[in-house]
Amino acid sequence: MVLEDHAEGDFLVVSLKDKRLDAVIASNFREAMVERIDRGQQKIVLDLSGVLFLDSSGLGAVVAVLKHVGARGCLHLCGVTPAVMAVLKLTRMDRVFKTYPTREAALAA
Amino acid sequence: MALKLKANAAPTRQALLNAVNYHVEVTLAKNPQSAELEDYQLALALAIRQPILHAMNATEARVREANAKQIHYLSMEFLIGRLLANNLRNLKLYDVCAEAASDLGLDLADILETEVDPALGNGGLGRLAACFLDSLASLSYPGYGYGINYQYGLFRQSFANGFQREQPDNWAAHGTPWQIERREQSSMIPIYGRVDAAMDEHGHFNPHWMEWKSLIGVPSDVPVVGYGGHCVNFLRLYSARAPGEFDMAIFNGGDYLRAMEQQVQVETVSKVLYPSDSAAAGRELRFIQEYFFVACAMRDIFRRHHATGAPIEEFGNRNALQLNDTHPAMAVAELMRTLVDEHDLPWEQAWQITRQSTAYTNHTLLPEALEKWPVALFERVLPRHLDIVYEVNRRFLEEVDARYPGDTERLRRMSIVQEWPHKEIRMAHLAIVGSHSVNGVAEMHSELVKSQLVPDFYELWPDRFNNKTNGVTPRRWLLNCNHRLANLITEAIGPKWAADLELLAELAPMAKNSSFLHQFQKVKLQNKTDLVQKVREATGVTIDPASMFDVQIKRVHEYKRQLLNALHIMHLYLRLKEDNVALPTPKTFIFSGKAAPGYALAKLIIKLINNIARLVNGDRAINQQLRVVFYPDYKVSVAEAIVPAADLSEQISTAGYEASGTGNMKLAMNGALTIGTLDGANVEIAREVGRKNIYIFGHTADEVILARQTGDAARLVYESNADVRRVIDQLAAGRFSPEDPGLFAPIVQSLLDHGDYYMHLADFADYAAKHEQAAGDFNNHRAWAARALVNVARSAHFSSDRTIREYADQIWDLKQVI
Repeated sequence: MVLEDHAEGDFLVVSLKDKRLDAVIASNFREAMVERIDRGQQKIVLDLSGVLFLDSSGLGAVVAVLKHVGARGCLHLCGVTPAVMAVLKLTRMDRVFKTYPTREAALAA
Repeated sequence: MALKLKANAAPTRQALLNAVNYHVEVTLAKNPQSAELEDYQLALALAIRQPILHAMNATEARVREANAKQIHYLSMEFLIGRLLANNLRNLKLYDVCAEAASDLGLDLADILETEVDPALGNGGLGRLAACFLDSLASLSYPGYGYGINYQYGLFRQSFANGFQREQPDNWAAHGTPWQIERREQSSMIPIYGRVDAAMDEHGHFNPHWMEWKSLIGVPSDVPVVGYGGHCVNFLRLYSARAPGEFDMAIFNGGDYLRAMEQQVQVETVSKVLYPSDSAAAGRELRFIQEYFFVACAMRDIFRRHHATGAPIEEFGNRNALQLNDTHPAMAVAELMRTLVDEHDLPWEQAWQITRQSTAYTNHTLLPEALEKWPVALFERVLPRHLDIVYEVNRRFLEEVDARYPGDTERLRRMSIVQEWPHKEIRMAHLAIVGSHSVNGVAEMHSELVKSQLVPDFYELWPDRFNNKTNGVTPRRWLLNCNHRLANLITEAIGPKWAADLELLAELAPMAKNSSFLHQFQKVKLQNKTDLVQKVREATGVTIDPASMFDVQIKRVHEYKRQLLNALHIMHLYLRLKEDNVALPTPKTFIFSGKAAPGYALAKLIIKLINNIARLVNGDRAINQQLRVVFYPDYKVSVAEAIVPAADLSEQISTAGYEASGTGNMKLAMNGALTIGTLDGANVEIAREVGRKNIYIFGHTADEVILARQTGDAARLVYESNADVRRVIDQLAAGRFSPEDPGLFAPIVQSLLDHGDYYMHLADFADYAAKHEQAAGDFNNHRAWAARALVNVARSAHFSSDRTIREYADQIWDLKQVI
């Protein structure tokens, strides 16, 4: 699993470089994100523009990250590909996550 | 040398030859000297695939341009049959291909015979779907089939000592040129998991479907070539694949076998076609199959709808869904889920669109055959859909209660959810509630649906119920399978009949034309002679083409009454042997059909027929007058060989049990006279051809019900009818199973001790009398031929073109795109 991150203003922008967010990496992804949050990064933009496949384990990991952020901060998703958006809609999670077409829009929100 | 065929021009003999040689040598990498017939079959398919695909793309472009409404025909089965010959006929390339083949020193018919028959269906329901696709394309309607790409079709049937044996049919093991995989249009389909109750940020109820497993549906398109080749639609069949090659997490953990097991488990979903008459309840895989193909289809239909740029609110104006039986009834819940969950439409609007889009065809009158799925299974596999079904049902029952206040018994009967004795979802109720149209498949059947099967629903929504009598495509079932008769008809009335079967009425006056009748008889004799050869190859039995070919070809089931036919043959045998009474005319009884692997009595009936055949055919004293053959491994191509050669068509189901039948139509269209009950479409055949030209016998549907109420009719018949008694006694005594005299005891018991539910004995005398009459009539060859010709001339009502026009006008509101 490859995560790249950098700070922009109040946000930590995290890019997942893997094409699949699935059972293979879900656990590592969740731990890596929780670690960042626990380090004090409460406002996160998660760039998923490279992710073409999301399974229920992957979605569960993103939900866990959202819950871990809780009311302390926020988790914005950007660059959500059509395949991943289809999964969010199918599970009605599109109504739970704040999604933005671009990184800039997510930072400006 | 041009190696590819031009898209918009009929290829010349030389161009075809060049293209075929190219594909043999380059695509298949075969040396022309050593290439086999199968290689030429493949090369020819590849050669004509090119203009077909071009026409398919052009058809799609026209539909897009016209912004036309489309029909999506959802069916668990598409019994398409061999495609090369039919496509050549529809493209009008058959003759030029035959010439090209002869240039290669080959016979086109031999080449065509090597094509594998895709057995993607059980019987009538699947074949109907295939005929409908042919008519949709031939009439230039934008209509598409959606189904499952079964790796294993219906089992291959063989006989071991007369017993049916089943072998897997890996029909596409060597690939097929007729499927184009569209991997890029694959869909992810979730199953299992749970629904978490939650709220969205606005405080609205927002249930989440979590922890599901993924299936990937990979579509393959089979081009459906309309007559003339102008319109080419497609049949989209889905294969189930695992999301990755296999689960890498497990693989990396070193458990290779477990990873492979998971992949195999997923791909099992499209592995095998379930035979009819197998107990469906409790079969989780079948349930998943039904959901899988519906979900794939719905994803694809929505994708194509969005591609038109039309808003989601327009979905019902642009799309019609036809549910071929209840197997795709999950479409109602899936459509609602998609509209409500993924497109945020209010429930009421989503429901209006769902009902506007969806229509349901009922195929059975047997209440026990209506699908039900245990709620526990539903909840485990499709938790979100179950929530939706409950909500559909809650609102529906409110409507019923408002109409019939306090009628709790009615609510119980009509509910989509059966509470007792097992909590189950009634798929037919879901289909009826979620559709704007419910149709039966023959006039009589549609009336029985209203009066017997679901009378409460008819009372609630009388306008929703209608009839669409089935039909068969005259391209496959006359033009292609009976080319001699087709040529004779074309010589007499011109070629337009294949696209307009009403024109066959012009043949009626020819029934008085001696010269034409002579030609007509000659065609039948040649077809019978062809069949003699095939029967010899398939069974080792030689039959006489001059004898009357009496044909019963269909799935083997008690209600279809192959047993009645067998009892009658035993009766004829005993008359010959014991009474020394000669038959009015020599007869050959030809059976073909499969019994479900778990249907013991149907399999025993097959064994009985094979035993009768062995006894009769081996008896030199009588086998010049009577022969019996059971043609193994019934499928479309077998039907195409038998139908043109039939003299008498056995359509002898217990009245009230056959929804329509389509074999009856195919045989009449090819000039066989019917001996049948007033059941299914037989009623309409009798009306169309006239009672003089059909042999109707037996109890009517009302009489069957009455007879059952009045006591043990079978025992009475046994005691009062000496012919029946002799047949049953001889059967019980082991006359037809000397090596195992008690073998057929279960059959005897079903007739005498278990009430003969399907009324074999009660109908026997009338059946035998009508057979006697038919056999006598057959001896007057000219008069028989004249009546057979009337059957052909009056078969327009049984063209699936007529049926599809009715669906298009009265249910789908569909326009042709020329």
